[in-house]
Amino acid sequence: MQFGIFSVGDVTTDPTTGRTPTEAERIKAMVTIALKAEEVGLDVFATGEHHNPPFVPSSPTTMLGYIAARTERLILSTATTLITTNDPVKIAEDYAMLQHLADGRVDLMLGRGNTGPVYPWFGKDIRQGIPLAIENYHLLYRLWREDVVDWQGKFRTPLQSFTSTPRPLDGIPPFVWHGSIRSPEIAEQAAYYGDGFFANNIFWPKEHFQRLIDLYRRRYEHYGHGSADQAIVGLGGQVFMRARSQDAVREFRPYFDNAPVYGHGPSLEEFMAQTPLTVGSPQQVIDRTLQFREYFGDYQRQLFLMDHAGLPLKTVLEQLDILGEEVVPVLRKEFAARKPAHVPDAPTHASLRAAAARKAAQEEAGR
Amino acid sequence: MTARTLTVVSAGLGRPSSTRLLADRLAEAARRSLEARGTTADTLVVELRDHAHHLTNALLTGVPTGGLHEVLERVADSDGLIAVTPVFAASYSGLFKTFFDVLDPDALAGTPVLLGATGGTPRHSLVLDHALRPLFAHLRALAAPTGVYAASQDWGDDGEGVLAERIDRAAGEFAALVAARAPKRRIDPYEAPTPFEELLPDR
Repeated sequence: MQFGIFSVGDVTTDPTTGRTPTEAERIKAMVTIALKAEEVGLDVFATGEHHNPPFVPSSPTTMLGYIAARTERLILSTATTLITTNDPVKIAEDYAMLQHLADGRVDLMLGRGNTGPVYPWFGKDIRQGIPLAIENYHLLYRLWREDVVDWQGKFRTPLQSFTSTPRPLDGIPPFVWHGSIRSPEIAEQAAYYGDGFFANNIFWPKEHFQRLIDLYRRRYEHYGHGSADQAIVGLGGQVFMRARSQDAVREFRPYFDNAPVYGHGPSLEEFMAQTPLTVGSPQQVIDRTLQFREYFGDYQRQLFLMDHAGLPLKTVLEQLDILGEEVVPVLRKEFAARKPAHVPDAPTHASLRAAAARKAAQEEAGR
Repeated sequence: MTARTLTVVSAGLGRPSSTRLLADRLAEAARRSLEARGTTADTLVVELRDHAHHLTNALLTGVPTGGLHEVLERVADSDGLIAVTPVFAASYSGLFKTFFDVLDPDALAGTPVLLGATGGTPRHSLVLDHALRPLFAHLRALAAPTGVYAASQDWGDDGEGVLAERIDRAAGEFAALVAARAPKRRIDPYEAPTPFEELLPDR
Protein backbone atom coordinates (compact mmCIF):
# COMPACT_ATOMS: atom_id res chain seq x y z
CA MET A 1 0.00 0.00 0.00
CA GLN A 2 1.29 3.41 -0.96
CA PHE A 3 0.59 6.53 1.06
CA GLY A 4 1.10 10.04 -0.13
CA ILE A 5 -0.24 13.52 -0.61
CA PHE A 6 -1.68 15.40 -3.53
CA SER A 7 -1.67 19.14 -3.96
CA VAL A 8 -4.03 21.28 -5.97
CA GLY A 9 -1.55 24.15 -5.84
CA ASP A 10 -4.04 26.87 -5.01
CA VAL A 11 -2.94 30.32 -3.87
CA THR A 12 -5.52 31.07 -1.22
CA THR A 13 -5.69 33.81 1.39
CA ASP A 14 -5.34 32.49 4.93
CA PRO A 15 -8.76 33.42 6.32
CA THR A 16 -7.41 33.70 9.87
CA THR A 17 -4.72 36.28 9.02
CA GLY A 18 -5.84 37.75 5.70
CA ARG A 19 -2.40 37.00 4.28
CA THR A 20 -2.05 35.69 0.71
CA PRO A 21 1.19 33.97 -0.26
CA THR A 22 2.95 35.10 -3.41
CA GLU A 23 3.23 32.68 -6.30
CA ALA A 24 6.92 32.29 -5.51
CA GLU A 25 6.15 31.43 -1.89
CA ARG A 26 3.47 28.95 -2.88
CA ILE A 27 5.65 27.19 -5.45
CA LYS A 28 8.52 26.90 -2.97
CA ALA A 29 6.05 25.74 -0.30
CA MET A 30 4.87 22.94 -2.58
CA VAL A 31 8.48 21.81 -2.97
CA THR A 32 9.07 22.00 0.79
CA ILE A 33 5.92 19.93 1.33
CA ALA A 34 7.08 17.31 -1.19
CA LEU A 35 10.50 17.04 0.50
CA LYS A 36 8.78 16.76 3.86
CA ALA A 37 6.63 13.93 2.48
CA GLU A 38 9.75 11.90 1.82
CA GLU A 39 11.27 12.89 5.17
CA VAL A 40 8.26 11.61 7.14
CA GLY A 41 8.16 8.34 5.23
CA LEU A 42 5.40 8.86 2.70
CA ASP A 43 5.62 7.18 -0.71
CA VAL A 44 4.02 9.59 -3.17
CA PHE A 45 3.81 13.30 -3.93
CA ALA A 46 1.38 14.31 -6.68
CA THR A 47 0.89 17.81 -8.04
CA GLY A 48 -2.13 19.19 -9.85
CA GLU A 49 -1.94 20.89 -13.23
CA HIS A 50 -3.75 24.16 -13.77
CA HIS A 51 -3.57 26.94 -16.31
CA ASN A 52 -5.55 29.63 -14.54
CA PRO A 53 -5.16 31.68 -11.37
CA PRO A 54 -5.32 31.18 -8.41
CA PHE A 55 -3.34 28.01 -9.14
CA VAL A 56 0.43 27.89 -9.66
CA PRO A 57 1.37 24.43 -10.99
CA SER A 58 1.10 24.88 -14.77
CA SER A 59 4.31 22.99 -15.44
CA PRO A 60 4.26 19.76 -13.42
CA THR A 61 7.35 18.07 -14.86
CA THR A 62 9.47 21.15 -14.15
CA MET A 63 8.44 21.01 -10.50
CA LEU A 64 8.67 17.22 -10.25
CA GLY A 65 12.09 17.21 -11.93
CA TYR A 66 13.37 19.63 -9.30
CA ILE A 67 11.87 17.54 -6.50
CA ALA A 68 13.34 14.39 -8.07
CA ALA A 69 16.81 15.87 -7.76
CA ARG A 70 16.31 16.52 -4.07
CA THR A 71 14.70 13.23 -3.06
CA GLU A 72 15.78 9.60 -3.06
CA ARG A 73 12.71 7.46 -2.66
CA LEU A 74 9.57 9.51 -3.24
CA ILE A 75 7.36 8.57 -6.21
CA LEU A 76 6.52 11.68 -8.23
CA SER A 77 3.05 11.82 -9.67
CA THR A 78 0.29 14.15 -10.79
CA ALA A 79 -3.29 14.83 -9.78
CA THR A 80 -4.13 15.29 -12.55
CA THR A 81 -2.31 15.63 -15.88
CA LEU A 82 -4.73 17.13 -18.39
CA ILE A 83 -5.15 14.50 -21.09
CA THR A 84 -7.68 16.68 -22.90
CA THR A 85 -5.85 19.96 -23.49
CA ASN A 86 -2.22 18.77 -23.49
CA ASP A 87 -0.76 17.36 -26.65
CA PRO A 88 -0.28 13.64 -25.97
CA VAL A 89 3.05 13.85 -27.80
CA LYS A 90 4.29 16.40 -25.27
CA ILE A 91 3.01 14.32 -22.34
CA ALA A 92 4.84 11.27 -23.75
CA GLU A 93 8.08 13.23 -24.04
CA ASP A 94 7.87 15.18 -20.77
CA TYR A 95 7.12 12.20 -18.54
CA ALA A 96 9.63 9.91 -20.26
CA MET A 97 12.26 12.60 -19.67
CA LEU A 98 11.19 12.85 -16.03
CA GLN A 99 11.41 9.06 -15.70
CA HIS A 100 15.06 9.13 -16.75
CA LEU A 101 15.94 12.00 -14.42
CA ALA A 102 14.08 10.43 -11.49
CA ASP A 103 15.39 6.90 -12.10
CA GLY A 104 11.87 5.61 -12.69
CA ARG A 105 10.22 7.18 -9.64
CA VAL A 106 7.40 8.50 -11.81
CA ASP A 107 3.79 7.72 -12.55
CA LEU A 108 0.96 9.99 -13.53
CA MET A 109 -2.74 10.42 -13.12
CA LEU A 110 -4.76 11.57 -16.08
CA GLY A 111 -7.83 13.76 -15.78
CA ARG A 112 -10.01 15.87 -18.03
CA GLY A 113 -10.10 19.22 -16.27
CA ASN A 114 -13.44 20.88 -15.64
CA THR A 115 -12.71 24.56 -16.32
CA GLY A 116 -14.52 25.52 -19.53
CA PRO A 117 -12.28 28.40 -20.73
CA VAL A 118 -9.06 26.35 -20.39
CA TYR A 119 -10.11 24.17 -23.33
CA PRO A 120 -10.36 26.95 -25.95
CA TRP A 121 -7.10 28.46 -24.66
CA PHE A 122 -5.52 25.25 -25.91
CA GLY A 123 -7.66 25.02 -29.04
CA LYS A 124 -10.09 22.46 -27.63
CA ASP A 125 -13.78 22.26 -26.68
CA ILE A 126 -14.93 21.05 -23.24
CA ARG A 127 -17.95 19.37 -24.84
CA GLN A 128 -15.47 16.99 -26.45
CA GLY A 129 -13.88 16.21 -23.06
CA ILE A 130 -14.54 12.47 -23.05
CA PRO A 131 -13.64 11.84 -26.73
CA LEU A 132 -10.45 13.91 -26.20
CA ALA A 133 -9.51 11.85 -23.14
CA ILE A 134 -10.14 8.60 -25.00
CA GLU A 135 -8.34 9.46 -28.23
CA ASN A 136 -5.41 11.34 -26.69
CA TYR A 137 -4.67 8.57 -24.25
CA HIS A 138 -4.75 5.97 -26.96
CA LEU A 139 -2.06 7.92 -28.79
CA LEU A 140 -0.04 8.42 -25.59
CA TYR A 141 -0.28 4.68 -24.89
CA ARG A 142 1.11 3.86 -28.34
CA LEU A 143 3.85 6.52 -28.24
CA TRP A 144 5.31 4.90 -25.13
CA ARG A 145 5.09 1.36 -26.49
CA GLU A 146 5.86 1.64 -30.20
CA ASP A 147 9.19 3.08 -31.31
CA VAL A 148 7.76 4.38 -34.58
CA VAL A 149 4.16 5.54 -34.72
CA ASP A 150 1.92 6.27 -37.70
CA TRP A 151 -1.21 7.83 -36.41
CA GLN A 152 -4.28 9.78 -37.45
CA GLY A 153 -7.11 10.97 -35.23
CA LYS A 154 -9.74 13.66 -34.89
CA PHE A 155 -7.99 16.04 -32.55
CA ARG A 156 -4.39 16.60 -33.60
CA THR A 157 -2.10 16.68 -36.62
CA PRO A 158 -1.45 13.18 -38.01
CA LEU A 159 1.92 11.59 -37.31
CA GLN A 160 3.97 9.69 -39.88
CA SER A 161 7.07 7.79 -38.76
CA PHE A 162 7.14 9.62 -35.45
CA THR A 163 9.37 8.55 -32.59
CA SER A 164 8.75 10.14 -29.21
CA THR A 165 12.04 10.78 -27.42
CA PRO A 166 13.45 9.89 -25.03
CA ARG A 167 12.04 6.39 -25.05
CA PRO A 168 10.60 5.35 -21.64
CA LEU A 169 13.25 4.31 -19.12
CA ASP A 170 14.17 0.63 -19.61
CA GLY A 171 11.36 0.45 -22.18
CA ILE A 172 8.83 0.59 -19.33
CA PRO A 173 6.18 3.32 -19.70
CA PRO A 174 5.19 5.17 -16.53
CA PHE A 175 2.23 3.56 -14.79
CA VAL A 176 -0.97 5.50 -15.48
CA TRP A 177 -3.89 6.17 -13.20
CA HIS A 178 -7.11 7.57 -14.62
CA GLY A 179 -8.80 9.98 -12.24
CA SER A 180 -12.49 10.68 -12.21
CA ILE A 181 -15.12 12.16 -9.98
CA ARG A 182 -18.16 10.92 -11.84
CA SER A 183 -17.57 9.67 -15.39
CA PRO A 184 -18.28 5.98 -16.03
CA GLU A 185 -16.45 6.32 -19.37
CA ILE A 186 -13.17 6.98 -17.55
CA ALA A 187 -13.63 3.94 -15.30
CA GLU A 188 -14.28 1.94 -18.47
CA GLN A 189 -11.15 3.36 -20.09
CA ALA A 190 -8.95 2.50 -17.09
CA ALA A 191 -10.39 -1.03 -17.04
CA TYR A 192 -9.85 -1.54 -20.76
CA TYR A 193 -6.11 -0.82 -20.54
CA GLY A 194 -5.62 -2.47 -17.17
CA ASP A 195 -4.43 0.87 -15.80
CA GLY A 196 -5.09 2.20 -12.32
CA PHE A 197 -8.25 4.05 -11.37
CA PHE A 198 -8.19 6.90 -8.89
CA ALA A 199 -11.40 8.10 -7.26
CA ASN A 200 -11.09 11.62 -5.93
CA ASN A 201 -13.20 10.58 -2.92
CA ILE A 202 -13.48 14.12 -1.64
CA PHE A 203 -16.59 15.83 -2.89
CA TRP A 204 -19.17 13.08 -2.99
CA PRO A 205 -20.61 10.58 -0.53
CA LYS A 206 -19.02 7.14 -0.46
CA GLU A 207 -22.03 5.50 -2.15
CA HIS A 208 -21.22 7.41 -5.31
CA PHE A 209 -17.58 6.32 -5.39
CA GLN A 210 -18.55 2.76 -4.53
CA ARG A 211 -20.53 2.57 -7.76
CA LEU A 212 -17.73 4.11 -9.80
CA ILE A 213 -15.03 1.82 -8.35
CA ASP A 214 -17.27 -1.22 -8.59
CA LEU A 215 -17.79 -0.47 -12.28
CA TYR A 216 -14.01 -0.19 -12.80
CA ARG A 217 -13.35 -3.47 -10.97
CA ARG A 218 -16.02 -5.40 -12.90
CA ARG A 219 -14.78 -4.12 -16.23
CA TYR A 220 -11.11 -4.75 -15.29
CA GLU A 221 -12.03 -8.39 -14.85
CA HIS A 222 -14.12 -8.33 -18.04
CA TYR A 223 -11.09 -7.19 -20.06
CA GLY A 224 -9.00 -10.03 -18.66
CA HIS A 225 -6.45 -8.18 -16.54
CA GLY A 226 -7.20 -10.20 -13.41
CA SER A 227 -10.03 -10.62 -10.96
CA ALA A 228 -12.07 -7.60 -9.89
CA ASP A 229 -10.36 -7.49 -6.51
CA GLN A 230 -6.96 -7.31 -8.20
CA ALA A 231 -7.76 -4.07 -10.02
CA ILE A 232 -5.51 -1.14 -9.08
CA VAL A 233 -7.49 1.41 -7.09
CA GLY A 234 -6.34 4.71 -5.62
CA LEU A 235 -8.33 6.96 -3.34
CA GLY A 236 -8.16 10.54 -2.28
CA GLY A 237 -8.89 11.70 1.22
CA GLN A 238 -8.88 14.87 3.20
CA VAL A 239 -7.84 15.17 6.82
CA PHE A 240 -6.88 17.68 9.47
CA MET A 241 -5.50 16.41 12.76
CA ARG A 242 -4.64 17.54 16.24
CA ALA A 243 -4.05 15.42 19.32
CA ARG A 244 -7.49 16.41 20.60
CA SER A 245 -10.27 16.29 18.03
CA GLN A 246 -11.97 19.44 19.34
CA ASP A 247 -8.73 21.37 18.73
CA ALA A 248 -8.61 20.05 15.17
CA VAL A 249 -12.19 21.16 14.52
CA ARG A 250 -11.63 24.60 16.07
CA GLU A 251 -8.46 25.23 14.09
CA PHE A 252 -9.68 23.88 10.75
CA ARG A 253 -13.18 25.40 10.76
CA PRO A 254 -12.27 28.86 9.38
CA TYR A 255 -10.31 27.22 6.56
CA PHE A 256 -13.22 24.93 5.77
CA ASP A 257 -15.81 27.70 5.97
CA ASN A 258 -13.88 29.86 3.51
CA ALA A 259 -12.39 27.17 1.27
CA PRO A 260 -12.57 27.99 -2.43
CA VAL A 261 -14.52 24.87 -3.38
CA TYR A 262 -16.97 24.12 -0.59
CA GLY A 263 -16.77 27.26 1.53
CA HIS A 264 -20.01 29.00 2.50
CA GLY A 265 -21.88 25.81 1.62
CA PRO A 266 -22.40 22.84 3.92
CA SER A 267 -21.27 23.02 7.51
CA LEU A 268 -18.07 21.23 8.51
CA GLU A 269 -20.17 18.71 10.41
CA GLU A 270 -22.44 18.02 7.42
CA PHE A 271 -19.47 17.64 5.11
CA MET A 272 -17.70 15.29 7.52
CA ALA A 273 -20.82 13.16 7.84
CA GLN A 274 -21.40 12.92 4.11
CA THR A 275 -17.93 12.84 2.56
CA PRO A 276 -14.64 11.25 3.62
CA LEU A 277 -13.34 14.51 5.16
CA THR A 278 -12.02 13.76 8.64
CA VAL A 279 -11.14 16.51 11.07
CA GLY A 280 -10.11 15.07 14.40
CA SER A 281 -7.51 13.02 16.21
CA PRO A 282 -4.96 10.80 14.46
CA GLN A 283 -6.91 7.79 15.72
CA GLN A 284 -10.07 9.07 14.05
CA VAL A 285 -8.16 9.43 10.79
CA ILE A 286 -6.85 5.88 11.16
CA ASP A 287 -10.32 4.50 11.79
CA ARG A 288 -11.89 6.40 8.92
CA THR A 289 -9.18 5.45 6.44
CA LEU A 290 -9.46 1.77 7.36
CA GLN A 291 -13.17 2.08 6.62
CA PHE A 292 -12.34 3.01 3.01
CA ARG A 293 -11.13 -0.58 2.54
CA GLU A 294 -14.50 -1.84 3.75
CA TYR A 295 -16.34 0.45 1.35
CA PHE A 296 -14.15 0.07 -1.73
CA GLY A 297 -12.23 -3.19 -1.27
CA ASP A 298 -8.47 -3.66 -0.95
CA TYR A 299 -6.77 -0.77 -2.66
CA GLN A 300 -3.27 0.25 -3.55
CA ARG A 301 -2.79 3.96 -3.05
CA GLN A 302 -4.08 6.49 -0.54
CA LEU A 303 -3.40 10.16 -1.20
CA PHE A 304 -4.35 12.88 1.26
CA LEU A 305 -5.10 16.48 0.42
CA MET A 306 -3.17 18.53 2.98
CA ASP A 307 -2.09 21.94 1.65
CA HIS A 308 -5.12 23.86 0.57
CA ALA A 309 -7.66 26.49 1.58
CA GLY A 310 -4.93 28.86 2.74
CA LEU A 311 -3.44 26.66 5.48
CA PRO A 312 -0.02 28.10 6.33
CA LEU A 313 3.06 26.08 5.40
CA LYS A 314 4.01 25.61 9.04
CA THR A 315 0.65 23.98 9.75
CA VAL A 316 0.88 21.74 6.69
CA LEU A 317 4.32 20.55 7.77
CA GLU A 318 2.95 19.79 11.25
CA GLN A 319 0.16 17.81 9.63
CA LEU A 320 2.70 15.83 7.64
CA ASP A 321 4.63 15.08 10.84
CA ILE A 322 1.47 13.69 12.44
CA LEU A 323 0.60 11.75 9.30
CA GLY A 324 4.08 10.25 9.02
CA GLU A 325 4.64 9.55 12.69
CA GLU A 326 1.25 8.57 14.04
CA VAL A 327 -1.07 7.63 11.20
CA VAL A 328 0.70 6.01 8.26
CA PRO A 329 2.78 3.49 10.29
CA VAL A 330 -0.44 2.16 11.85
CA LEU A 331 -2.25 2.16 8.52
CA ARG A 332 0.60 0.29 6.82
CA LYS A 333 0.44 -2.41 9.46
CA GLU A 334 -3.34 -2.67 9.51
CA PHE A 335 -3.79 -2.65 5.72
CA ALA A 336 -1.03 -5.24 5.29
CA ALA A 337 -2.66 -7.51 7.85
CA ARG A 338 -5.98 -7.33 6.00
CA LYS A 339 -4.77 -7.64 2.41
CA PRO A 340 -5.14 -11.12 0.83
CA ALA A 341 -2.00 -12.48 -0.86
CA HIS A 342 -3.50 -12.42 -4.37
CA VAL A 343 -4.16 -8.66 -4.27
CA PRO A 344 -1.22 -6.86 -5.90
CA ASP A 345 0.56 -3.74 -4.70
CA ALA A 346 0.54 -0.63 -6.84
CA PRO A 347 2.86 -1.09 -9.82
CA THR A 348 6.22 0.72 -9.61
CA HIS A 349 8.96 1.04 -12.18
CA ALA A 350 10.83 -1.81 -10.50
CA SER A 351 7.82 -4.12 -10.37
CA LEU A 352 6.85 -3.37 -13.99
CA ARG A 353 10.43 -3.98 -15.12
CA ALA A 354 10.51 -7.29 -13.24
CA ALA A 355 7.16 -8.29 -14.76
CA ALA A 356 8.40 -7.42 -18.26
CA ALA A 357 11.58 -9.48 -17.68
CA ARG A 358 9.50 -12.45 -16.48
CA LYS A 359 7.26 -12.20 -19.51
CA ALA A 360 10.26 -12.03 -21.85
CA ALA A 361 11.84 -15.07 -20.16
CA GLN A 362 8.60 -17.03 -20.50
CA GLU A 363 8.34 -16.17 -24.17
CA GLU A 364 11.98 -17.18 -24.63
CA ALA A 365 11.36 -20.50 -22.84
CA GLY A 366 8.22 -21.17 -24.86
CA ARG A 367 9.98 -20.65 -28.15
CA MET B 1 -54.25 -2.20 -12.64
CA THR B 2 -50.94 -0.80 -13.87
CA ALA B 3 -48.78 1.45 -11.70
CA ARG B 4 -47.01 4.74 -12.25
CA THR B 5 -44.74 6.85 -10.05
CA LEU B 6 -45.54 10.51 -9.57
CA THR B 7 -43.60 13.17 -7.73
CA VAL B 8 -45.06 16.46 -6.60
CA VAL B 9 -42.61 19.31 -6.15
CA SER B 10 -43.94 22.26 -4.17
CA ALA B 11 -41.88 25.41 -3.75
CA GLY B 12 -44.24 27.00 -1.23
CA LEU B 13 -42.52 28.62 1.72
CA GLY B 14 -45.32 29.17 4.21
CA ARG B 15 -46.64 26.57 6.61
CA PRO B 16 -49.35 25.97 5.63
CA SER B 17 -48.82 27.21 2.10
CA SER B 18 -51.34 27.81 -0.64
CA THR B 19 -48.79 26.41 -3.11
CA ARG B 20 -48.79 23.12 -1.21
CA LEU B 21 -52.57 23.27 -1.08
CA LEU B 22 -52.75 23.56 -4.87
CA ALA B 23 -50.10 20.84 -5.24
CA ASP B 24 -52.15 18.47 -3.11
CA ARG B 25 -55.31 19.23 -5.05
CA LEU B 26 -53.54 18.57 -8.36
CA ALA B 27 -52.03 15.34 -7.03
CA GLU B 28 -55.35 14.09 -5.77
CA ALA B 29 -57.09 14.94 -9.05
CA ALA B 30 -54.32 13.22 -11.00
CA ARG B 31 -54.63 10.14 -8.77
CA ARG B 32 -58.37 9.96 -9.39
CA SER B 33 -57.98 10.45 -13.11
CA LEU B 34 -55.29 7.78 -13.35
CA GLU B 35 -57.39 5.41 -11.30
CA ALA B 36 -60.27 5.90 -13.73
CA ARG B 37 -57.84 4.74 -16.43
CA GLY B 38 -56.93 1.62 -14.45
CA THR B 39 -53.63 2.98 -13.18
CA THR B 40 -52.51 3.37 -9.59
CA ALA B 41 -50.23 6.24 -8.69
CA ASP B 42 -47.42 6.00 -6.16
CA THR B 43 -47.15 9.66 -5.24
CA LEU B 44 -44.51 11.45 -3.19
CA VAL B 45 -44.80 15.12 -2.26
CA VAL B 46 -41.53 17.03 -1.91
CA GLU B 47 -41.47 20.41 -0.19
CA LEU B 48 -38.44 22.22 -1.54
CA ARG B 49 -38.36 24.28 1.65
CA ASP B 50 -37.07 21.17 3.44
CA HIS B 51 -34.15 20.98 1.01
CA ALA B 52 -33.36 24.68 0.65
CA HIS B 53 -29.99 24.50 2.43
CA HIS B 54 -29.02 21.37 0.56
CA LEU B 55 -29.93 23.02 -2.74
CA THR B 56 -27.56 25.86 -1.89
CA ASN B 57 -24.90 23.31 -0.98
CA ALA B 58 -25.41 21.62 -4.32
CA LEU B 59 -25.03 24.92 -6.15
CA LEU B 60 -21.84 25.77 -4.27
CA THR B 61 -20.16 22.38 -4.16
CA GLY B 62 -21.87 20.23 -6.77
CA VAL B 63 -22.74 17.77 -4.02
CA PRO B 64 -26.42 17.19 -3.19
CA THR B 65 -26.18 16.87 0.59
CA GLY B 66 -28.81 15.61 3.03
CA GLY B 67 -31.72 13.82 1.40
CA LEU B 68 -31.51 15.89 -1.77
CA HIS B 69 -29.76 13.18 -3.77
CA GLU B 70 -32.67 10.80 -3.18
CA VAL B 71 -35.18 13.48 -4.20
CA LEU B 72 -33.31 14.16 -7.45
CA GLU B 73 -33.20 10.43 -8.20
CA ARG B 74 -36.86 10.08 -7.39
CA VAL B 75 -37.82 12.89 -9.79
CA ALA B 76 -35.64 11.40 -12.53
CA ASP B 77 -37.28 8.00 -11.99
CA SER B 78 -40.84 9.36 -11.94
CA ASP B 79 -43.35 8.76 -14.72
CA GLY B 80 -44.89 12.17 -14.10
CA LEU B 81 -44.06 15.37 -12.24
CA ILE B 82 -46.40 17.92 -10.72
CA ALA B 83 -44.48 21.17 -10.27
CA VAL B 84 -46.00 24.05 -8.34
CA THR B 85 -44.40 27.37 -7.46
CA PRO B 86 -45.46 30.62 -5.88
CA VAL B 87 -45.01 33.69 -8.07
CA PHE B 88 -42.11 35.84 -6.85
CA ALA B 89 -41.21 39.02 -8.71
CA ALA B 90 -43.26 38.10 -11.77
CA SER B 91 -41.81 34.60 -12.17
CA TYR B 92 -41.23 31.26 -10.46
CA SER B 93 -39.44 31.52 -7.12
CA GLY B 94 -35.69 31.26 -6.92
CA LEU B 95 -35.99 28.12 -4.83
CA PHE B 96 -38.12 26.48 -7.53
CA LYS B 97 -35.63 27.41 -10.24
CA THR B 98 -32.70 26.25 -8.11
CA PHE B 99 -34.18 22.79 -7.87
CA PHE B 100 -34.37 22.51 -11.64
CA ASP B 101 -30.89 24.03 -11.97
CA VAL B 102 -29.52 21.25 -9.79
CA LEU B 103 -31.54 18.47 -11.40
CA ASP B 104 -29.75 16.57 -14.16
CA PRO B 105 -30.68 18.37 -17.40
CA ASP B 106 -31.83 15.11 -19.00
CA ALA B 107 -33.84 13.90 -16.00
CA LEU B 108 -37.21 15.10 -17.31
CA ALA B 109 -36.78 14.47 -21.02
CA GLY B 110 -40.04 13.03 -22.29
CA THR B 111 -41.65 13.13 -18.84
CA PRO B 112 -45.20 14.54 -18.51
CA VAL B 113 -45.32 17.56 -16.22
CA LEU B 114 -48.33 19.29 -14.71
CA LEU B 115 -47.67 22.98 -14.09
CA GLY B 116 -49.13 24.95 -11.24
CA ALA B 117 -48.54 28.37 -9.73
CA THR B 118 -50.02 30.50 -6.99
CA GLY B 119 -50.08 34.22 -6.47
CA GLY B 120 -51.69 37.03 -4.57
CA THR B 121 -53.53 38.44 -7.55
CA PRO B 122 -54.88 36.97 -10.80
CA ARG B 123 -52.74 39.43 -12.76
CA HIS B 124 -49.80 36.99 -12.73
CA SER B 125 -51.67 34.07 -14.23
CA LEU B 126 -49.61 34.13 -17.44
CA VAL B 127 -46.55 33.14 -15.39
CA LEU B 128 -47.45 29.57 -16.33
CA ASP B 129 -46.97 30.28 -20.02
CA HIS B 130 -44.30 32.96 -19.89
CA ALA B 131 -42.00 31.44 -17.26
CA LEU B 132 -42.79 27.80 -16.45
CA ARG B 133 -43.46 26.51 -19.96
CA PRO B 134 -40.13 27.72 -21.42
CA LEU B 135 -38.27 26.19 -18.48
CA PHE B 136 -39.85 22.79 -19.01
CA ALA B 137 -39.49 23.09 -22.78
CA HIS B 138 -35.76 23.56 -22.18
CA LEU B 139 -35.76 20.41 -20.06
CA ARG B 140 -37.56 18.62 -22.91
CA ALA B 141 -40.43 17.69 -20.61
CA LEU B 142 -44.00 17.23 -21.84
CA ALA B 143 -46.01 19.96 -20.16
CA ALA B 144 -49.73 19.20 -20.06
CA PRO B 145 -51.68 21.73 -22.18
CA THR B 146 -53.57 23.12 -19.18
CA GLY B 147 -51.71 24.53 -16.21
CA VAL B 148 -53.39 25.78 -13.07
CA TYR B 149 -52.87 29.21 -11.61
CA ALA B 150 -54.57 29.92 -8.30
CA ALA B 151 -54.78 33.49 -7.03
CA SER B 152 -55.86 34.19 -3.45
CA GLN B 153 -59.38 34.97 -4.55
CA ASP B 154 -59.76 31.58 -6.29
CA TRP B 155 -59.69 29.83 -2.92
CA GLY B 156 -62.98 31.51 -2.07
CA ASP B 157 -64.63 31.69 -5.45
CA ASP B 158 -68.32 32.05 -5.97
CA GLY B 159 -69.31 28.42 -5.89
CA GLU B 160 -69.13 27.92 -9.62
CA GLY B 161 -66.16 25.67 -9.01
CA VAL B 162 -63.92 27.43 -11.49
CA LEU B 163 -60.66 26.42 -9.76
CA ALA B 164 -61.85 22.87 -9.19
CA GLU B 165 -62.78 22.57 -12.85
CA ARG B 166 -59.40 23.79 -14.00
CA ILE B 167 -57.71 21.37 -11.62
CA ASP B 168 -59.73 18.47 -12.97
CA ARG B 169 -59.13 19.40 -16.59
CA ALA B 170 -55.37 19.86 -16.10
CA ALA B 171 -55.05 16.67 -14.06
CA GLY B 172 -57.04 14.74 -16.68
CA GLU B 173 -54.74 15.87 -19.49
CA PHE B 174 -51.70 15.07 -17.35
CA ALA B 175 -53.03 11.63 -16.38
CA ALA B 176 -53.70 10.80 -20.03
CA LEU B 177 -50.09 11.62 -20.90
CA VAL B 178 -48.76 9.57 -17.97
CA ALA B 179 -50.98 6.56 -18.61
CA ALA B 180 -50.16 6.53 -22.32
CA ARG B 181 -46.46 6.02 -21.64
CA ALA B 182 -44.67 2.88 -20.51
CA PRO B 183 -43.17 3.16 -17.04
CA LYS B 184 -39.84 4.94 -17.17
CA ARG B 185 -36.75 2.78 -17.24
CA ARG B 186 -33.55 4.70 -16.82
CA ILE B 187 -30.30 3.23 -18.07
CA ASP B 188 -27.81 3.28 -15.21
CA PRO B 189 -24.43 4.25 -16.71
CA TYR B 190 -22.64 2.66 -13.75
CA GLU B 191 -24.40 -0.64 -14.31
CA ALA B 192 -24.25 -0.61 -18.10
CA PRO B 193 -21.33 1.56 -19.25
CA THR B 194 -20.65 2.33 -22.90
CA PRO B 195 -18.19 -0.41 -23.91
CA PHE B 196 -14.71 0.83 -24.77
CA GLU B 197 -15.07 -0.46 -28.33
CA GLU B 198 -17.79 2.18 -28.79
CA LEU B 199 -15.79 4.90 -27.06
CA LEU B 200 -12.90 4.43 -29.49
CA PRO B 201 -14.35 2.78 -32.59
CA ASP B 202 -11.48 3.47 -35.05
CA ARG B 203 -8.53 1.88 -33.33
